[in-house]
Amino acid sequence: MNEPLLHIDKLNVAFSTSRGQVHPVRDVSMSVYPGQTLAVVGESGCGKSVTAMSVLRLIPQPPGKYLSGRIYFQGRDLLKLPEADMRKVRGKEIAMIFQEPMTSLNPVYTIGDQIAEAVILHQNLRGKAAYDVAEEALREVGIADPGRRLREYPHQLSGGMRQRVMIAMALSCKPKLLIADEPTTALDVTIQAQILELLRKLQRETGMAIMLITHDLGVVAENADTVAVMYAGRVVEHSTVHDLFDKPQHPYTEGLFRSVPKLGANVTRLETIAGTVPNPQNFPNGCKFHPRCPRMAGDPLCVSDDPALREVQLRHWAACHHIEGFAQAPITEPQLAYKRAETISEIPAEVLQ
Amino acid sequence: MTKLSASEPIGNPGKPGPGETDSTRDPLTVVRRSLVRQVARDVLVRWGAQIGIVWVGLLVVLAVLAPVLANSHPLLMKSKDGELSSPWVKHLSTADCTLLVTAVAFVIIVLTRWRASTKVWLLLAVIVVTAITSSIFVKQRFTSPDTYRDRLKSGEIEWAARAPIPYSPDDRQLDDPTARLRSPAGRHWMGTTATGADLASNMIHACRIALSIGFISTGIAVVIGVVIGGMMGYYAGVVDLLGMRLVEIFSAIPTLLLLLCFVAVFTPNLYMMMAIIGLTSWEGYAVFTRAEFLSLRQRDFVQSAIASGVPLRSVLFRHMLPNGITPVLISASFGVASAILAESTLSFLGIGLGVDEASWGKLLADARSSGGTFYWWLAVFPGVAIFLTVFAYNLIGEALRDALDPKVLKN
Repeated sequence: MNEPLLHIDKLNVAFSTSRGQVHPVRDVSMSVYPGQTLAVVGESGCGKSVTAMSVLRLIPQPPGKYLSGRIYFQGRDLLKLPEADMRKVRGKEIAMIFQEPMTSLNPVYTIGDQIAEAVILHQNLRGKAAYDVAEEALREVGIADPGRRLREYPHQLSGGMRQRVMIAMALSCKPKLLIADEPTTALDVTIQAQILELLRKLQRETGMAIMLITHDLGVVAENADTVAVMYAGRVVEHSTVHDLFDKPQHPYTEGLFRSVPKLGANVTRLETIAGTVPNPQNFPNGCKFHPRCPRMAGDPLCVSDDPALREVQLRHWAACHHIEGFAQAPITEPQLAYKRAETISEIPAEVLQ
Repeated sequence: MTKLSASEPIGNPGKPGPGETDSTRDPLTVVRRSLVRQVARDVLVRWGAQIGIVWVGLLVVLAVLAPVLANSHPLLMKSKDGELSSPWVKHLSTADCTLLVTAVAFVIIVLTRWRASTKVWLLLAVIVVTAITSSIFVKQRFTSPDTYRDRLKSGEIEWAARAPIPYSPDDRQLDDPTARLRSPAGRHWMGTTATGADLASNMIHACRIALSIGFISTGIAVVIGVVIGGMMGYYAGVVDLLGMRLVEIFSAIPTLLLLLCFVAVFTPNLYMMMAIIGLTSWEGYAVFTRAEFLSLRQRDFVQSAIASGVPLRSVLFRHMLPNGITPVLISASFGVASAILAESTLSFLGIGLGVDEASWGKLLADARSSGGTFYWWLAVFPGVAIFLTVFAYNLIGEALRDALDPKVLKN
């Protein structure tokens, strides 16, 4: 685990709109190592989905544009690959599952047709053999009677089943990296838990890396090894999942944790972060978080200077002028080859007691 | 409306139809509950569609069987020296052969239990092969003056089984000087034309032109419109801008005027007419496809297809097109009607097809002679045929729209 599988290096993405250029991803760097789960956390509009889409070059150009930065996957810069080579990466090396399982399947083809299409495309199989692989993929994601489901249309399946089908489709070609863009947001809570459990199980079995885009800290606690917190197009904090939950450094991360309801706490209202997410068309000067920041207290530095991501503690990066010793902390490449031992649900119940 | 019900399909998804749960057969050949089937079922229960399809079906049968129904050449005859022969077979044209073979192949292929795509490809192969072979081997023999009537009278032919209408469309009855412009009576039960040809025979043979010009010119227009519209919708931006200007240019010019210009420049024959009508009526399909593709390219399943490495051609035509073809299909069925009207108009104006091609519009034009006399049978029969055909296509289009348009469904 010493070479990152995916390394995003100072990525900048812009969109040109009728009201000028917006810049939703700014100097974003992050890495995913083989077998690791990186969670990218943030509010809507913070640039986490754009970052994920950029990895597969799914940003429509125009209006989108990759201003600068590199996306290394197994040593190759994906942003420089010709389109034909990129197509071989998509689906085969890097697969992606989307937020909305209800609309992510083509309504006019059967489940089998859709999984088999990817298999035929990437594994050089034909006809019956491709459908056998599809059936096996459905069985792996825990769909009962996969032979019958193959012949069904998406509208005949429930939401949870469709997400399983999406995962089966993504994993049918054994990708090295799975990008899951809020895979559980549209599902109800029990199905969410099943899908997350399924992703963990498949990761253990295949050793693939997962880039998990989410705004749900519960999902992060369950599945992630490392976390990148994004705010207004920048990574504001990056560390292992344990460090992040134990000692969050950035005031935005602290705010996020405070707004999670706690069991047994006797409060009538949940705490929120004051203010609203800034519009990408009109980001504030300096630190993007300063209008909402409880730490700022009129500091002119926060208004004038956008802090860079610095390694404020060992293997813990954050970007805030009000962290102790921030100015002296080194600016280093945020690379974390960390894999947690077990997830909570895999620890036997008697150990927890 | 909730997300769930919005994604519910047209028709009744809950009830499996007969044969759909047959699990003993190979998964690939099992009868599928596809969208096409549902739509077909939804359309066919509507009376408008039934009437329309019956009329068009009748035209298809007449078109295919035209050489058997209306032909000067006897179906079977015995000459004086006892020799049996079927002269009509020898005088089949390339189009006759292709149509007859295709019709037989169609019936056989429909009765088999192969996959739908196999059937379509096989049928296309049959059409192409017979068209090529018959155009090589079938030689048009110009024997129109031989009407067999003299030989029957003189006893040179002992007996003959004639077609129900024993006149070919180009049989001008030169043996009978009074044959011109006869009103419906006796053997000419729709009367005769200004050249002395039988009107009923011409009507039957003209079915082919009415059908083929409708389908083929609309097909050409749909292909052009879908490709241009698809490009505009998928690429958006500059491509869209240029494409829309092209659409505006074409739709700013009145179609009839454009048709007249084309006809003036190119020699009009049947194929040229099809191409011309197709080339002047694609804008509507382009605009519909563009609008559908613009919204489809943002849809998750299209993104998901791109993300799984599907090539662009497949994204456009396999994933997006079937989901966005509905409005095009609906307007295409109206387009068939207007293509028939366009051909009739041009033929009526006398700038359409060549002399030896029977067309309803051309027959209609004969109704008013240069002397000012009005021959009612030449107006009524072709006029009613044109009206009924256009009406039938409009009924089918209406039924398709009712079956496919979710807004109409709700009411």
